[in-house]
Amino acid sequence: MKSFRVFVYVLCALFATLIALNLRLRAVEQLPIDYDEDDYLGAAQRYAQAIRAADWQEITEYDYNYEHPPLTKLIYGFAILGLPEAPLIPERPSTDAPASSLPEPHFDVARKVSAAFGTLEVLALALINPLAGLLLGIHTWQIKYTSQIMLEPLPALTSLLTVLFYHRARQSKKRDALWLGLSALMLGITAASKYTYAVVGVVVLVDWLWAQYQPHQARHARAESGRPVWGQIIAWGLFAILIFFAFNPRLWADPLERLSQSVLYHGGYAQSEHVSRAGFPIWQQLVWLAGPVPWHPGVFVVMLDLYVLIFAVAGFKSLWTRYRVFALWLLVAGLFLLLWPTKWPQYVLTLTAPLSLSAAVGLQAALKKIRIPPRKVISSVSWRELRRAWPWLLPGTIILALIAFYPMVYQGAMSLTDFNTMSIRDGINGGVWREVWLGITGQTEPLAVDLWQYFDRFRRPTSTDVHYVGFSSLRSLFAGGIPDLLVFNILWAVLSVVLQAALGVVVALMLNREGVRGRGFWRTLFILPWAIPEFVGALIWLRLLEPGRGWLAVIENMPFDVWLPDFWANPGTRLLLLLLAAAWYGFPFIMLAATAGLKLISGEVYEAAAIDGAGRWQQFRYVTWPLLWPLVMPAVLIRLIFAFNQFYLFYTMQVNFPTITHATLSYYAFSPTFGGQFAVSAAINIFTVVVLVVLILWFNRRSQAVEGVTYA
Amino acid sequence: MRRQISSWEQVLHQFGLTLVGLFVLLPIWGMVYLAFEGGTMGWPSTFRLWPEEPTLRVFAQVWAQASQSMPFLALLKNSILVSGGSALISVALGTSMAYAFARYRFPGRKMGLFTLLVGALLPPVALMTPLYVLLTILKLRTTLLGLMIVYTAFSMPFCVWNMRSAFQSVPKDLEEAAFLDGASALRTFWRISLPIAIPSIAVAALIAFLIGYSEFAMGWLFVDKSANVTLAMAISGALGISTFSGSLLSALAILMSLPVVALFILLQHYLLDRLLFVSVGD
Repeated sequence: MKSFRVFVYVLCALFATLIALNLRLRAVEQLPIDYDEDDYLGAAQRYAQAIRAADWQEITEYDYNYEHPPLTKLIYGFAILGLPEAPLIPERPSTDAPASSLPEPHFDVARKVSAAFGTLEVLALALINPLAGLLLGIHTWQIKYTSQIMLEPLPALTSLLTVLFYHRARQSKKRDALWLGLSALMLGITAASKYTYAVVGVVVLVDWLWAQYQPHQARHARAESGRPVWGQIIAWGLFAILIFFAFNPRLWADPLERLSQSVLYHGGYAQSEHVSRAGFPIWQQLVWLAGPVPWHPGVFVVMLDLYVLIFAVAGFKSLWTRYRVFALWLLVAGLFLLLWPTKWPQYVLTLTAPLSLSAAVGLQAALKKIRIPPRKVISSVSWRELRRAWPWLLPGTIILALIAFYPMVYQGAMSLTDFNTMSIRDGINGGVWREVWLGITGQTEPLAVDLWQYFDRFRRPTSTDVHYVGFSSLRSLFAGGIPDLLVFNILWAVLSVVLQAALGVVVALMLNREGVRGRGFWRTLFILPWAIPEFVGALIWLRLLEPGRGWLAVIENMPFDVWLPDFWANPGTRLLLLLLAAAWYGFPFIMLAATAGLKLISGEVYEAAAIDGAGRWQQFRYVTWPLLWPLVMPAVLIRLIFAFNQFYLFYTMQVNFPTITHATLSYYAFSPTFGGQFAVSAAINIFTVVVLVVLILWFNRRSQAVEGVTYA
Repeated sequence: MRRQISSWEQVLHQFGLTLVGLFVLLPIWGMVYLAFEGGTMGWPSTFRLWPEEPTLRVFAQVWAQASQSMPFLALLKNSILVSGGSALISVALGTSMAYAFARYRFPGRKMGLFTLLVGALLPPVALMTPLYVLLTILKLRTTLLGLMIVYTAFSMPFCVWNMRSAFQSVPKDLEEAAFLDGASALRTFWRISLPIAIPSIAVAALIAFLIGYSEFAMGWLFVDKSANVTLAMAISGALGISTFSGSLLSALAILMSLPVVALFILLQHYLLDRLLFVSVGD
C-alpha cells in the first residue's frame, strides 16, 4: 500500500514536470527576443571561443557585463561549444532595445539550456510537493525567465536546492553532514551565478539560529545535539564561500578588488536614471506577482499567477508549521525585494519557489475545508413561514429589485459589451440587451477588441452601435489584468486599517486608565474626525497636503529655513501621506469600539493576573489583548471594507492634483480616465463586487466565530 | 482594582493624549481659521496659524450667495430634500421587509440577508453606471427625484439590515402575548414592535440621511442644472474652479459639518451600535 502511494506521488511529480517542460519549450519557440538576451548570448560566444582556444587568460579576464558573476554565461558558452561558429554579437549598452535577430541555432540551444534548468527546478519542488511543482510549472513569470537566455534559471534552481538539502539535513539524524555539505555547495553555485539569489543563505542561517534559540525548544535541542552549532554554521559558510570563488574564474586573479567592483556596480545602477525613470513603487514586485506576464499574449496557456499569490497568502500559516524554512524564505526574500531598489520583474524568481509551495499548501487546506456540510434539518424554516412573510417582504423587495438588483444585472450585461459614450443612443434603446442576447445564444461572434486600449484616448471607439465582446474584459480582469490597481487597493485597505486599529486601541487604552484627567474631554475631541463628513475631511487634508501650496508646502516659505523632503515625489511616501489622512478618519471608530469593549473586561481578571505576578506588558499581552481583540474585530473588519471602497479621499485629492497615480478600484471605476467608457467601468465594478463578496464571506465567518468567543 | 495612577504616569498619558489631540485638531484648524479670514484666494501662500484680521464677513457672504446665484439656504434645501427623501423612502419601504427578516424563518432568508449585507457594504460607485443609463431612459436623470432614487439605492440595503436587528431586539414574548390577546399580525407590528424599534429606526434613517447629505460625486454625474445642486456638490464644485476661494470653501464646509458633528457627539453610542454590523447568523 505504501509503495503504491509512493508510486502515485512520483507519478504526480513527473506529470507536473512534464507540463512544465512542455510549457517552457512552447515559450522557447514563441517568446520574442528580450532585453539582455543578446548580451548573455554574446558573452557565451566569447567564452566558447576562449574554451575552444584553451585561452585561460581570456576566461579569467573577460569582463563585459562584469556586474553579474560569469558562471551562467560560462554554462551557456559550454552549451554552444559544439555548434558551428557564428559572427560575434556586438557588445551594446544593456539599455538598448532588444536585438532584432540572434544567430541560430545558438539562440535556440541556449534557450533550451535555460528551459532545462527551469524544468529541473520544477522537478525538485515537485518531489516535496507535486502540486507546488505544478504551480511553479505554470507560473508565467517563471516560464518567461526560464525560457529566455537569462541569468535566472541556474540560481533559481540552485537556491531551491540549497534550501531543500538544508531541509533534508534538519530532518535526517545520521547523515546531516553530507546534506549540509551539498546545501553549502549549492549556495556557493547560487552566489556564483547571480548575487541576489544568495539571499537563501541568509534564510538558512535565520532558520538554523531560530531552531537553536527558540525559547521553548532550545533546552531540548541543545541537550540533544550536545555540540556547539556555531562550528557547523561557520564550516558551512566557509565551504559555500570557497565554492563561490571556485566557480567564479574572474575572481581568481584579484579576488577582493574584483568582487567589490562587481558588487558595488549595483549600488550605482540602482540610483541610475535608467532605474528611476521606470518609476516603480516600492511594492512593485507584488504587482508583478499579482498578474500574469502582460507582454506576450498567446504564449502562456494558463494564467493563474494571481491565484497562486492569493493562495500563498492563505497558506502561509500552514507553510510555517510544515516547512518553516520555506516560510522564512518567503519572508526574507520578500523583505529583500521590498528594499532592493531595482524592481525588474525577473527578480520575483528569487521567491517563486516558496511562493508556489505556500500556495500549494494553502490550496490543499482550502480543498480539505470544502466538504459538503451535513444538511441540517432546520425545522424553523418552512414554506408556511413564507406565506406569512411575503406581504411584508413585497414592497421592499420590489423597490430593491428595481433600483439595486436590476442595475447590478444590467451592469453584468454591460461588461459583456463595448458600450460607451459613442454608442449611448443605441445602448439605452436596448442595444445592450440585444447584443448580449445575440452573443450568448451564439448568433453573433464576440467582437475582438481589447477594451483596455480605450485608456488611450486616441484609440477611442467610433462606432455608434453597441457590440458584444464576450467575456474578454472580465476574463482579463480576473486573470490579474490590472495588478497595479488591485495591489494598491489591497495594500491601502490593509495598511490603513492596521494604522487606524493601532492608534484607536492605544488611545482607548490610555483613556481607559483610571485616574487620567479629562477623559471625557479627550474622548469628545477624538470623535471629531469620525463626525466630520468624509468629504470635508478629505478637503481638510487636501488643504494640509496639497503640493506647492498646502500648509505643509508653505512651511518652506517661512522666513527661517525649513527643509522638508518632497513627499509627493515617489509612490511610497505619497502613500504614507494618504495613510496619515486615512488614520485620522478611521481611528475614532475603532477607539469607540475598543472603549466599549474594555468596559466589558472585568477587573477581576487583572487582579488574578497581578497575583500571578504579571507585569504591565504581560497584562496587556496575555489578558487585555486576547479579550479585547474579538470585541474590536467587527469594527476593524468594517473599516477594512470601507477602506477598500474609499472613494471621496482620492476623488478630492485628485481634483487639484492629478499626479496621484494610485487609487482604489472604486475611484478607477468612476475615474474620468474612462470618460464615458461604461463597459470598462462596469467590468471593473463587477470585479470589485466579486472581491468584496469574497471579503464579506470571510468577514462573516470570522465574526460568527467571534460571537462564539464572546458568548462562551 | 488597579494601581493608583502615579503622577509621572499622569504626565505621560496627558502627553500622549495631547499628541493625538494635535493630530486630530491641527488639520481641522488649518481649514477652520481660513473661514475667519477675509477673502483668501486659493490656499494662503504664507504659513500662519491664525487669521490675520479675524472677521465673520465670509460667513455672511456665503449665507447670501454660496455658489453662483444660489444662497446657502437654497442649497441646504436641496440637500435636505434629496437626502431626507431618500432616507424616508428607505425607511418607509424597508421597515416591513426588515420586520419579515427579523420575525419569519422563510426559505431563502439567509441568502436574502447576505445579499442585503453585500448591498450595504458596496461602494456607492458600484451602481453608478447602470443607474445613469436607467435614469436617462426614464428621463429622470437630471432631476432631484432621480438623485433621490440614486441615494436610496445606496442607503436602503443598509437601512433594512439595521432595522432588522432593531426588530430582533424586540422581545418575542411581548408579541406573542399580543397575539394571544387576539391581535392580528399587522396590529401587533403597529402597536408593539414598531414603537419599541422606533429609536433605532430613527438612527438608521439618520445614517441614511447622512449618506446622501455628504455625497457629491454621483450628484455631479446626474445633476446638471445649477438650481438642483446640493450643498456637498456646491463645495466640491467650488474646489474644481482653479480660482477658488479658500475662505469661502472653509466657511461652507464648516456650515455643512456643524450640525452633523453636533449630532454625532450627542448620539455617539447609538451610532456606533448601528454602524457595527451584526453578522448574518442570529
